[in-house]
Amino acid sequence: MMELAQQVGATAAAVDWHAIAPELVLAATACIVLVADLFLPDDAKWLAMPLSAAGIIGTLAAIVSLIGAGNRLTLAGAFEVDGFALLFKGVFCVLGLLILAISFHYFRVGRYYQGEYYFLMLCSLLGGVVMSSARDLVTIFIAIELISIPGFIMAGLRKGDAKSNEAALKFFLFGVLSSAVMLYGMSLAYGATGELLLEGIRAKLTAADEPLIVLSVFFIVVGFAFKISAVPFHFWAPDTYEGSPSPVAAFLSTISKIGGFVGLIVLMFRAFPDVADTWRPIFALLAILTMTVGNMIALRQTHIIRLLAYSGIAQSGYVLVALALIEPGATASNEQAFQSAVIYLAIYGIMDAGAFAAAVAFARRGGSYFIEDYSGLWQRSPVLATLLAGFLISLAGTPPMAGFWAKVFVFLAAIEAQSYLLAIVMGLNAVVAAWYYLAVVKKMFFEKAELAEPVEVPAVLRVAMGLAAAALVAVFVYPRLVTELAERSLF
Amino acid sequence: MIGNVIDWIGAPVIIAAVKVVIVFLVLLVVTMLVIWFERRVLAFMQSRHGPNRHGPFGLGQTLADGIKLFFKEDFRPKNADRWAYAIAPVAAMVPSFLAFAVIPIGDHITIGDRRVDFLVSDLNIGLLYFLAMGSIGVYGVVLAGWASGSKYPLLGGVRSTAQLISYEIALGLSLVPIVLVTGSLSTKTIVAAQAGTIGDVTVFDGIPLLQQVQGLFSFVPNWYIWSQWPAFLIFLIAGIAETNRAPFDLPEAETELVAGFHTEYSGIRFAMFFLGEYIHVVAISAMAVTLFFGGWHGPVFGVVEWLWPLVWFTLKVLFFVYLFVWVRATLPRFRYDRLMWLGWKRLIPGALIWILATAIVNTQGIHRNIRLGVFGLLFLAVVVWMWRGDPRLGLIKPVTRSRVREVPSGNL
Amino acid sequence: MNLEVVIFGVMFVVALGCSLAMLFAPNAVHVALFLVGAQMALALAFLLQGAFFVAAIQIIVYAGAIMVLFLFVIMLLGIDLRESLIEPLTGQRGVALGLGAVLAVGLVFVGVQGADLAAGGGDGAAALTELNQGPGNVKALARALFSRYLLPFEVTSILLVVAMVGVMVLARRISAVENDRRAGVPAAEEEAA
Repeated sequence: MMELAQQVGATAAAVDWHAIAPELVLAATACIVLVADLFLPDDAKWLAMPLSAAGIIGTLAAIVSLIGAGNRLTLAGAFEVDGFALLFKGVFCVLGLLILAISFHYFRVGRYYQGEYYFLMLCSLLGGVVMSSARDLVTIFIAIELISIPGFIMAGLRKGDAKSNEAALKFFLFGVLSSAVMLYGMSLAYGATGELLLEGIRAKLTAADEPLIVLSVFFIVVGFAFKISAVPFHFWAPDTYEGSPSPVAAFLSTISKIGGFVGLIVLMFRAFPDVADTWRPIFALLAILTMTVGNMIALRQTHIIRLLAYSGIAQSGYVLVALALIEPGATASNEQAFQSAVIYLAIYGIMDAGAFAAAVAFARRGGSYFIEDYSGLWQRSPVLATLLAGFLISLAGTPPMAGFWAKVFVFLAAIEAQSYLLAIVMGLNAVVAAWYYLAVVKKMFFEKAELAEPVEVPAVLRVAMGLAAAALVAVFVYPRLVTELAERSLF
Repeated sequence: MIGNVIDWIGAPVIIAAVKVVIVFLVLLVVTMLVIWFERRVLAFMQSRHGPNRHGPFGLGQTLADGIKLFFKEDFRPKNADRWAYAIAPVAAMVPSFLAFAVIPIGDHITIGDRRVDFLVSDLNIGLLYFLAMGSIGVYGVVLAGWASGSKYPLLGGVRSTAQLISYEIALGLSLVPIVLVTGSLSTKTIVAAQAGTIGDVTVFDGIPLLQQVQGLFSFVPNWYIWSQWPAFLIFLIAGIAETNRAPFDLPEAETELVAGFHTEYSGIRFAMFFLGEYIHVVAISAMAVTLFFGGWHGPVFGVVEWLWPLVWFTLKVLFFVYLFVWVRATLPRFRYDRLMWLGWKRLIPGALIWILATAIVNTQGIHRNIRLGVFGLLFLAVVVWMWRGDPRLGLIKPVTRSRVREVPSGNL
Repeated sequence: MNLEVVIFGVMFVVALGCSLAMLFAPNAVHVALFLVGAQMALALAFLLQGAFFVAAIQIIVYAGAIMVLFLFVIMLLGIDLRESLIEPLTGQRGVALGLGAVLAVGLVFVGVQGADLAAGGGDGAAALTELNQGPGNVKALARALFSRYLLPFEVTSILLVVAMVGVMVLARRISAVENDRRAGVPAAEEEAA
């Protein structure tokens, strides 16, 4: 309370406007898109997409302008621009552009509320960008809400479709429940320490065995586990992905999920690293369950979106492995685990969005979402088949794509931390995952097509997929591209 | 013994209690007079006589009506919800009385060495308190409508809930510019800020010509109405709607809903609704005076100095009560959709734009000429926007496209 | 014993009584009314702490706006019958009890540990008094919101806009034209109309 008096005393904290420039640009873009949509005639509503893309590029420019400017701390320490924040802001914006490309034709042809969709998407993206820099409980909570709440609405945009309604409702109920649980955990942390800043909480946490802290961390992790769809809190994810419009599913499985992970990583590494003994087992259990269950169920899927949903759950498990390796005091292995988590998230975002893009491209005209129909795609559209195969191979973690390095780094980190059980489980799961990913690839390349005509892919989508695939290959060839960024993002 | 009690309670509390009792009694008497006033003025405007039998000029009419209501049968419908039905009239009446706690009705007097303000309580959140009381008052109407257990009151209650909530927003927003200008939520500070004349204001410092022009107007009191008239208009319209008075008396539209939410009420309970409504009228009038017309400020002449502010305040309030009656006698009732249109599409956006304008004009650190320029542009924009449908401006072409095509697309 | 203690006692009794009555009242409207009562008592508690602004907002937002909307919905939907006693989810009572117990344990922990912290972490009441006398309650709050908590505050406003847009998008009714379009009536006819 004394501190409160100081905080709100005579001097109001000055705001570093340059530090929050990316957020400002993105927020302004969202408002412009919303208002512009009012005045655009029906047949020009699609202009909201290029407008949004321009805004995201502007945000990227603002982010680039912050590179090399050193760590910036503003809003009394609640907002930090460091390597980690910049990296994830960049990842979110790139993913945002990819999702825009996926959305464009889908929403234009489908005659949805385009302006509103792009507005909601930008707001959710803004949540992710804020999350990257959030360094106190209030900002983290608001950021995760801003990521999720537009998602509830976007999931229900296919209003005539009962499945979409189901998707939105399930997502909403689970999202609200998880927020409540998370908030309860955060309030316990605040009650125990009297601090909102993560640094402050860390400083006040002296005794690691305090039951209150265990309870608090437990609730926070459970809350985030819903958001990142970790088993056993994953029930909503496949139904939501399947029912919502496919670009929204791509959004939820990349930006929304990575946003949750960013919040979790920041909390765990900035506020609770010294009490890691209390939460490491939780993460180990979550990781093993998530990887195994996700992959087992993914084996039996016949619908490409559901396959990606369950495989996405399994992919969350690999990142959780990295979090389960943290030990108080073991600096070297902790840093390696941290870097592997960061690298995994960045690469996962690109390859998952790419796979969704390919699925949407295939399903556009006369195609379908069923894996059966992918047979012989190589003969019909060699480019699309190659790209999709590339993304799936990357997700499977086999060369020559970046996904390989992602898995290798996590695996090495596990070995380094001497968590052999986790390493073994992870290795087994990678084999299982490769099975179902490569089954799709096999169908495309080695089975006969029932139809002959090629699949028509719009130019925007083609360019986006091409760039994503090229990036993944480039990272495989020269992994320094991401390891360098990961090193810079160390706290 | 009594001395001990006074010590335990404390002199400020006792003074406040005395003030409360006085204000309460005065309000009861004022209500009687206001009801008589309204009936006489309405009659005058409609070329009738109005009540003129009881007492001089019919002044005793309200008293007679009140006594009649007191002795009427207290009736409760079979389907009514016992408790809610009983609470509703009280809930409608009490907040109206409570709202007066923050209205300064005069300057101050000095009793012994103690300064006593003509204000029950100088809350530092005075305006918010006033709004809070307004929002509590809604319960009376809602509960009465629901608890009566019959159709017309229910419809009236639902209607009025929608109306009151909608206009509460506009009412609250219209107070914001005043808070921005004054930098305080306290009614006492707001009234104090309106002391003096326009000649004292320092807007035109450094521009000699304008200063001379300003000097010519130094006899005009420095009330907020001159700079904040858009806020005042919104406040007045929303205030009339908040009191459920014509032309916004849809909750009790006789032709459609019998008497609306209080159809089933009779006797003393009905009297409470009636009382609440008139107190509310007086409260809104008093607030308008406090915020925009300088409160109790006015010329003070030598004799009994503390009395003059009271007189000015009363006269100003009387004017607004007259305005309420005048509006009732003049304007026909709104259609429901037009009422909602006015509230949501005109008053609320208008109030928001005006808040923006006030905020910009009051920003420190920006050159004054720029501030005034922005102010002027915004003002122009508002005027053009409000009249953009007027064909004389030639801003928009008449709609020729069929309305069917204007339905927005979307895969619904 | 002074006046404040008396008022606190009244507040305490009203808040607890209303909350309990809210749990056991069978009628939805009565439940809403008791909730209003509990919120008023809470506002009084804020007043006693010297937090005038929060008290007023508590009344305006919760009692004045949200609860009126609750009542509005209850009235429109006509849920004035006794609650249905059929539970669609079996076993939810047990789960609810278990979760409730966990939450209660957490609260007790916070209570115990919070007391420790207050002993070592400075005098909250004194700081609050200082604030109320210094810049004033409203101004202090405004300063905190617009400097230290600027970003969460503004992001919350975006969140509210998102909610509004969401309501518009999801609640908008399907028009007849839209139905035709979905049923496959060619667009040319629409042009002609």
